[in-house]
Amino acid sequence: MTAITSALFSLNAVYVMTGIVLLVFAALNFNDRTNKHRVGTALFWFILGLIFAVGSLLPTWFAGVLVLLMVAIDGAGRVARGRDADEVTKSGQIKPQESTLGNKIFLPVLCIPFITFGCAIVFRYLGFNSNDGALVGLGYGGVAAVFAGIALTRGTLRQAFQEGRRLNDAMGAVNILPALLASLGVIFTASKIGDLIAQGIHKIIPGPNLFLLIVANCLGMALFTMVMGNSFAAFPVIAAGVLVPLIIQPFGVNPAMVAIVTLTAGSTGTLMTPMAANFNIVPTALLDMRDQYGVIKFQVPFAITIWSMHVLVMWLLIRLL
Amino acid sequence: MHIPEIFKLAGIAIVIVGLALRLRTTLVVLTAGIVTGVIAGLPLLSSQGWFQGLPYLTRAGQEGIINMLGRAFVENRLMTLFILTLPAIGLAERYGLQEQAARFVRRIKAATVGRLLIIYQLFRVLMGILGIRLNGHPAFVRPLMFPMSLGAAEATARARTVDALPGATVEEIKAANAASENYGNFYGQNLSPVLPGILLVYGVMKGLGYTVSVWSLVLYAIPIATLSVIIAAIQFWLLDLREKKRLTPRS
Repeated sequence: MTAITSALFSLNAVYVMTGIVLLVFAALNFNDRTNKHRVGTALFWFILGLIFAVGSLLPTWFAGVLVLLMVAIDGAGRVARGRDADEVTKSGQIKPQESTLGNKIFLPVLCIPFITFGCAIVFRYLGFNSNDGALVGLGYGGVAAVFAGIALTRGTLRQAFQEGRRLNDAMGAVNILPALLASLGVIFTASKIGDLIAQGIHKIIPGPNLFLLIVANCLGMALFTMVMGNSFAAFPVIAAGVLVPLIIQPFGVNPAMVAIVTLTAGSTGTLMTPMAANFNIVPTALLDMRDQYGVIKFQVPFAITIWSMHVLVMWLLIRLL
Repeated sequence: MHIPEIFKLAGIAIVIVGLALRLRTTLVVLTAGIVTGVIAGLPLLSSQGWFQGLPYLTRAGQEGIINMLGRAFVENRLMTLFILTLPAIGLAERYGLQEQAARFVRRIKAATVGRLLIIYQLFRVLMGILGIRLNGHPAFVRPLMFPMSLGAAEATARARTVDALPGATVEEIKAANAASENYGNFYGQNLSPVLPGILLVYGVMKGLGYTVSVWSLVLYAIPIATLSVIIAAIQFWLLDLREKKRLTPRS
């Protein structure tokens, strides 16, 4: 019994459910005559659904080939959307049906954060990983919200899937970018790009000038994050190539102090790059913004200010502590 | 075959040029990865199973590029988990979720977009301290914060509907909403030792020979987290001033 419960409330169960949702989206797109690339679109979401549902069971080479196939379909411009995905007003809202629900319409959507919280806290309390708890909660919150929404609006499951597909199609192939970027980081690290960068910095800053090396470290982290789109993918490279050999070792600095500031120096880069699709591009799609780079443009003044604070804070921490 | 080290940076060049030319991002990223791996001398496939000992495409003991791609993509698919929430959000939107949120906020007289967003960012930082990960853009910003911000702007402009607001205002509010989520998320998540940022730093530093305490990592994340809230508060205050000027009805 506990085995079934723990399987049901595992990350894998949530992955399978997400996979099923994607397979339904694929089927709906396949039957949508208003989508001029309905076959390519359906195949794309079908493959992603497959990777979600059974990804951890697939041999890695096969998963890799599936990823290549998805990118090929998108690269050929075969991921499109039907007419109802375009049905939005200026502010990015769909035209709502007349309803007399009032504030009750919030209830289904509020299920998502509340169940996410609840699961994280319960997992924590039971001694499991509360990160998994939050992700499992997000999944079950989404499912509970669908049924709460159907009960409230007297809609149908089919209608809910149609509405979900509308939002998903509006985002399109951008959905797979974050996972693709993380894969790029893994390949960069395996290719030892970090060693190359350390050599380059040594040529520009020959002496042991702490301040300039801090600038180089924070700038390198921000720039590399901008190129890779992911501070997590950049951190292993910069830590091995710059932080340890050029700052921690020669100056005998407390590694915890400089390591975490280096990571957030990467976050300032994340704020400024279209490569961080999940944070900067997906929201422009979610909010149906006119300018794909609108979020980034807003964030640049903030990012430059807080980047210079990183240099200052790291330097002061080393000097004062 | 020996290729000079510097050519390994070709992948980075491909990303920069490809994005500048506005080629399809997925294709650019994948090409960059494969080219970098090939130049670095990585095999295309691992020497396992059917491919064991295959000449040219595999090399004993090295993970292949395609295997790496598949493994990393599967491990990181949790980044796309929000798809599961789309049917519920779509259904609620169809039945007037956003209109209702805007109506709700219109009654709160004091709310401005900037104040709303700094409160949201503080909430996000608090979630970070509690070690709770939220999928903020789809779960909070899109369904709740964005319509509430529109409501606040409508109250400032004394407009009856969203479509009466200037287009530039709506676009800037969208950008500010996404930004407050990002600021709170990026700098708040390092205040908890159970979130991936701290765990990543801990793991990488350990791999490089330095075992650090996760609690000291959290401690040294505090100065930057504090500064992020202060700088954002200034930016949102400036946004309020700008919008007030633009939206105040002229009589």
